[in-house]
Amino acid sequence: MRREWILVCSVGLMACLVRSAIAQQQEKSGKDSVVVAAGGASTANSNSSHDRRSPKALGSSASEQRAARIEGEKIFRANCGRCHQPPHQFPPRVMAMAIRHMRVRAMLTDEDMRLILTYMTQ
Amino acid sequence: MPLLTGSTGFITNFTGGQPDLHPIVTPLVLVPIGRRWVFETRATFENDLVEVPGRSGFHGGPVQKEVEYAELDFLLTSYATVTVGRFLTPFGIFNERLYPVWIRNLQSDPLILPIGIGPSNASTGGMIRGGFKARPQFNINYAVYFSALSTTSPVDSDRFAGVRTGIFMPKARLEVGGSFQHLLEQERSNLFGFHAIWQPTLLPLDIRAEYANSKRGSGYWIEPAYKLSQLPFLQNEMRRMQLVARYQQFFTGDLVSDALPPIDTKECEFGLNYYFMDGLKASGDYGRQFSGAGNLNVWTMALTYRFVIPLGPAGSAR
Repeated sequence: MRREWILVCSVGLMACLVRSAIAQQQEKSGKDSVVVAAGGASTANSNSSHDRRSPKALGSSASEQRAARIEGEKIFRANCGRCHQPPHQFPPRVMAMAIRHMRVRAMLTDEDMRLILTYMTQ
Repeated sequence: MPLLTGSTGFITNFTGGQPDLHPIVTPLVLVPIGRRWVFETRATFENDLVEVPGRSGFHGGPVQKEVEYAELDFLLTSYATVTVGRFLTPFGIFNERLYPVWIRNLQSDPLILPIGIGPSNASTGGMIRGGFKARPQFNINYAVYFSALSTTSPVDSDRFAGVRTGIFMPKARLEVGGSFQHLLEQERSNLFGFHAIWQPTLLPLDIRAEYANSKRGSGYWIEPAYKLSQLPFLQNEMRRMQLVARYQQFFTGDLVSDALPPIDTKECEFGLNYYFMDGLKASGDYGRQFSGAGNLNVWTMALTYRFVIPLGPAGSAR
């Protein structure tokens, strides 16, 4: 009887975790589509001024990349550094595979994986 | 792109004055399949060379070969991965996260390591695992698994179901978690454990600790490791050095286990690691073991190396 209860609780817990993960995924993809839609609308509205705004857009893209690298470093130090010393840089495809492995082992999210890859390869 | 990685080491151990040479190679193969699948497997080739009375030099038997795990991972969502096959049992932190010789701070295993991980450190079955940001202040990671009985040595496993969860607070750089497992065979007992990892922001210090409890015994270990990078002299050398200590205690349970000490045991160890370059580490430590069977000294010296070999052209990440 006790064993059944433990199994029911484990399955229930698993279902809750998966449901929460799927909900987060849906929320994230919803946010992404809002961002894409907003980006599309802004591009359509400012099409004529696109050329004049390019350097600014480029600058903002560079600063976004810098921010992503800094965030990636933070996530790297917090997650990877808990278990092992930081490795030197590897070629991008090697690093991509190693981080995919660590996504499973260290239970990273896709977002964390992308930011760590940005930090480790740029 | 497939990857061959892993570690190799040469570990020399003196337990109670008896020398033991232990060469070990642990290759790990990673094969991506499409965008959502990963196949990974790790094997171990090792030998124990000991002095045989009446013969000179060190002698060992045949090389021990073992496939530690071979699993297929499916990246279900950003926050969940499904694993099937033979996988390292996620009970506590040492077996799954700190076991490889290039990662561990001290080369000897903690006394409580065999608790909850099955007869060959791995499970045969399925698992769902992942992590997600529950609040801006903390992340949650989880692993829920089931293992079937396998009696084929060396890929034997017990029949059990279990869960491990952890909460990580990035600001405090603290992770605390717990493991629970129910054995679905033999005495059908429950096992549980707790773990913690703390890296204070102001010091290059790691503190790891684990507690495990089962009918076959219980115990804990705590391991601080301090990198000397803050010392104001010989900085090039000091930043490569790490002082480590570990205190552990084991208490026997109602049932006996071949893998666990037969009597109550405690041990304290002190060690020094030197990181020559990426992946290459030399370490030495001294420990004193106290038990009813007599106290003894344990000396360990090791040279370990972590290798990464791409099995294809290493170019862009795409």
